Amino acid sequence: MSAASADTLAAGGRIRTAWTARSRQERLVYKLLLPVLGTVVVLATIPFVLAVIQSLTSDTRGFVGLDNYARALSNPLLYESIKQTALYGAIALPVEILGGLGIALLVHRTVRSSGLRAAIYVAAMIPIVIPQIAVGVVFRLVFAPDYGILNVMLGLTGPSQPLWLSVPQLALVATAAVDIWQWTPFVYLVMFAGLQTVPSESVEAAQVDGATNLTLFRFIELPYLRPLILLVLFFRIADVIRVFDQVYVLTGGGPGTTTQYLSLYIYRIGFKFSDLGQASALAVVVMVSMTLFYTVVSRFLPADRR
Amino acid sequence: MRSRRWTPSRVATTLLLALIGLLFAFPLFYLVATSLKTKADLFAPVPSLWPPNPTLEPYYDVLVTRGFSELLVNSIVVGLGATALAICIAFAICYPITRLPAPRRLRGFVLSWSLSLRFLPPVAVVIPYFAIVRAIGLYNQLPALILVYTIFNLPLAIWMLRGFLDEIPLEIEEAALVDGASRWYAFRHIVLPLARTAILAVGIIVFAFDWAEFLFAFILTATPQAMTFPVGVQGLVTQFEIIWNDMAAGGVIAILIPLTLMLIARRHVMTGLTFGVIREK
Amino acid sequence: MKVRKWLALVVPIALVASACSSTSSTAAATKLTIAAVQGVEDAGLKALAPMYKQQKGVDIQIVEAPYDDLYSKLVNAFKANDSTYDLIMMDDPWMPKFGTDGSLSDLGSLGITQDPDVAQVVWDVGTWPPPRGPVPPSEKSKPKQLLGVTIVGNVEMFMYRNDLTATAPASYDDVLANAKAQNQPGSVAGYIIRGKATNPVVADFLPILWSQGGDVFDENWNVVLDNDASKAAIAFLINDLKGVAQTDPGSTDASDRDKIMANGQGLQSSVWPGEINTAVLDPAVTKVAGKVTFIPIPKGKSGKGVGMMGNWLLGVPKASKNQQAAADFIKWMLQKDTQMTYAKNNGIPSRTSVLKDPSLTAANPYFPVLADALQAPPNWRPRTDQWNAVETIIGTHLNKALTGGETADQAATGAATEIRTLMKGAGYPTQ
Repeated sequence: MSAASADTLAAGGRIRTAWTARSRQERLVYKLLLPVLGTVVVLATIPFVLAVIQSLTSDTRGFVGLDNYARALSNPLLYESIKQTALYGAIALPVEILGGLGIALLVHRTVRSSGLRAAIYVAAMIPIVIPQIAVGVVFRLVFAPDYGILNVMLGLTGPSQPLWLSVPQLALVATAAVDIWQWTPFVYLVMFAGLQTVPSESVEAAQVDGATNLTLFRFIELPYLRPLILLVLFFRIADVIRVFDQVYVLTGGGPGTTTQYLSLYIYRIGFKFSDLGQASALAVVVMVSMTLFYTVVSRFLPADRR
Repeated sequence: MRSRRWTPSRVATTLLLALIGLLFAFPLFYLVATSLKTKADLFAPVPSLWPPNPTLEPYYDVLVTRGFSELLVNSIVVGLGATALAICIAFAICYPITRLPAPRRLRGFVLSWSLSLRFLPPVAVVIPYFAIVRAIGLYNQLPALILVYTIFNLPLAIWMLRGFLDEIPLEIEEAALVDGASRWYAFRHIVLPLARTAILAVGIIVFAFDWAEFLFAFILTATPQAMTFPVGVQGLVTQFEIIWNDMAAGGVIAILIPLTLMLIARRHVMTGLTFGVIREK
Repeated sequence: MKVRKWLALVVPIALVASACSSTSSTAAATKLTIAAVQGVEDAGLKALAPMYKQQKGVDIQIVEAPYDDLYSKLVNAFKANDSTYDLIMMDDPWMPKFGTDGSLSDLGSLGITQDPDVAQVVWDVGTWPPPRGPVPPSEKSKPKQLLGVTIVGNVEMFMYRNDLTATAPASYDDVLANAKAQNQPGSVAGYIIRGKATNPVVADFLPILWSQGGDVFDENWNVVLDNDASKAAIAFLINDLKGVAQTDPGSTDASDRDKIMANGQGLQSSVWPGEINTAVLDPAVTKVAGKVTFIPIPKGKSGKGVGMMGNWLLGVPKASKNQQAAADFIKWMLQKDTQMTYAKNNGIPSRTSVLKDPSLTAANPYFPVLADALQAPPNWRPRTDQWNAVETIIGTHLNKALTGGETADQAATGAATEIRTLMKGAGYPTQ
């Protein structure tokens, strides 16, 4: 190789010196590609800016400053909704992420036939492509009292059967179960793809050295998976905040307000209460706080492997 | 060839995988079963696992009587278009980030900005998007959906693509460039084939998200000319009636189309999914 | 190989291009777009659209959306002054908001006259500000305009099994007594409560509330949901009726209730005319053919049985570019011969003469009952642009009480307090 590649051998290292010879070309290409990024950022930000403006105004009184924010944050139902959403996430997310990761590891290690691996990968896509409302309807057929298949299969019928959609704790579990069913495959898809990027030489070297599965995972595979785990974690959190259709069809937010998760709550404010200013304020608050949360977390768990 | 002994751990993991597979397959099975039931079957006091009088009537109803086949075509066009566009733009953004000495802060900014897009509850931007799309004259047109979906898919595409591109070592391109190839040549003939896995993985996930998306399709379209399949299927839950079997048929159709697409492109799927890309470290 | 790579580039471009080209719209001058609610309610409308094209040469395009989605869509369209829709279907409780926001055109000035063959209450419900009952303070000075004409003449009624109950229940006391006598947990429910959160449970409960002498607001917008009569009515639902109800009233919606009734597992329930044909009178699925009688809402402590209106109105957005053509369509819908055809195609007409026409009674036994119910007149939901919010508050509390999360009393006071805060915040003189 060229004499300039003095730093070749750091594990995962980069050859920086060879690039400086072409830096002018690079900078040109760089300059060409930045506008693309810029355009996309602008396009994506305009609606956000409009939403912020919407959050600072009211239908009837024009510009009202932070009034919408004050009203949004002083409503006790908001905090109840946040609590319920957090409970929902606390049940669903660990199962999804650990489950998806676990299944990916299992398949990666034990399934050798590449045809089968591909088939499983494609099959994992299925729950994601079903329209949300169809998912809600099917699970309604599973969880409903009397005509739901779950209670029938468990042999629990009559007045004492578990009411999956009307008992607060059960409704939480039922809605979380729907989420788990639909999204664990997604976690699997990402994790499995990530596992493929782990260099097989490193794996084989470690195995030759007598590494157990656990050690293999912790020291060889996990570094490659860490950014993906972070990705999946935050994407799932973002989606938990946005979950709507399935829950709406299953429970309508009930019993009471037990399954009125954040997105249902914001929808309620925006459309049932016709308070789009407040709904926008809530949305802005959610987005800003989650972004802050992510920034803090990613400081400790860097998304880069560098 | 490694010998395949059925050790206890092997049996255990196989059983475990089978059990998990069964758990996930059950709702799908019930979806298919429901789609084959008649209205009378659905009204039976005790629900049955298998359709007692299987019929394809719900499928006919969905595709022909309700005319959702037009919506299906729209969904396919929007899905493929938005996926292709998202991947292209994601490449355009990830390539410099992974290959050029981009400042660290820019990298971090792109990642957190793209993630923050996903954090925004849609209800707040529904009206702004509606207003913008109307203003540029794309209301009730498919390109509006393609654009909006691309924007929303970029975070995921960028994240995943970056991870994959990071793994393609610079030496390979470096070798080609040293030999006198242009950067574009190196990209097309060296990076792109190696990125096949990435493109496929990202493509599948992005397409899947676009395929099932409802809210923006609903807001930005008004007539079947531009509506997508999820919008049509939504209408099967009405105030007084849930049309269970048609809805289930809709769900099954929604699964079959992407599967069919992948079947058609199976050669690419197989090569893309045959992981174990060249690694030289 | 190379061909494949080119395809990979060309195909997406071609797709985007085809998407662009397929959007060439034929802007025909004679075309009306109607935003309609998806479900049984627009079945008649869909059947009639081709007839209008034949008779008048105007193309009718019906764009459907389910209940909540239609509401969101209309709100968005009005806020953006969108001219996509020439006619809209709206549930009568939505009309006050659209009227207050000034989004609808005056149909009177577009040539629609109030035909006496249609019950007066139908014209009243479509008028803004309302001619009876409390008027929102901001609307008091506006002249009365006809903003919507009924296209689905829904009034909530009552149904019961005539093979299990010899005489029709005349009062809610009878209802309860019959329910207790016939209730067998697990096989026959004495009364089917439609208790799913927000809109469903409120629609089911309001007739009970009114018949028992309670109400949500009084003439001056004061909240009376927590006065004695109202509290008694809520307690009647949560304690008495629930005790003889089906297994899980908290998750029961209309389609569930119809299923229970059609399977012969329920004795009595309230019912909307629109849902009757989906199950109870559907020969393909009903097991109680001929065994169900439809009557007006039974009397309560107030001495009257108060039915609730749930009319779907047709209105013309001010932003529409085809005002007169849209109004002409409405006029055509109101004609007697059109209404007869409409009724034969699962529509629910509003003309008294059509409802009482003997040739239609066999297929629609509840039509004469509906005609009487419209003449009674039935009550309508409070005419305020805040109704959606009020309904959500009441519905959440009722559902909570039905599922054991709070007592009837707490539901009453909780809902009343929240409604007071809401109305005061919206500028009403509520106490």
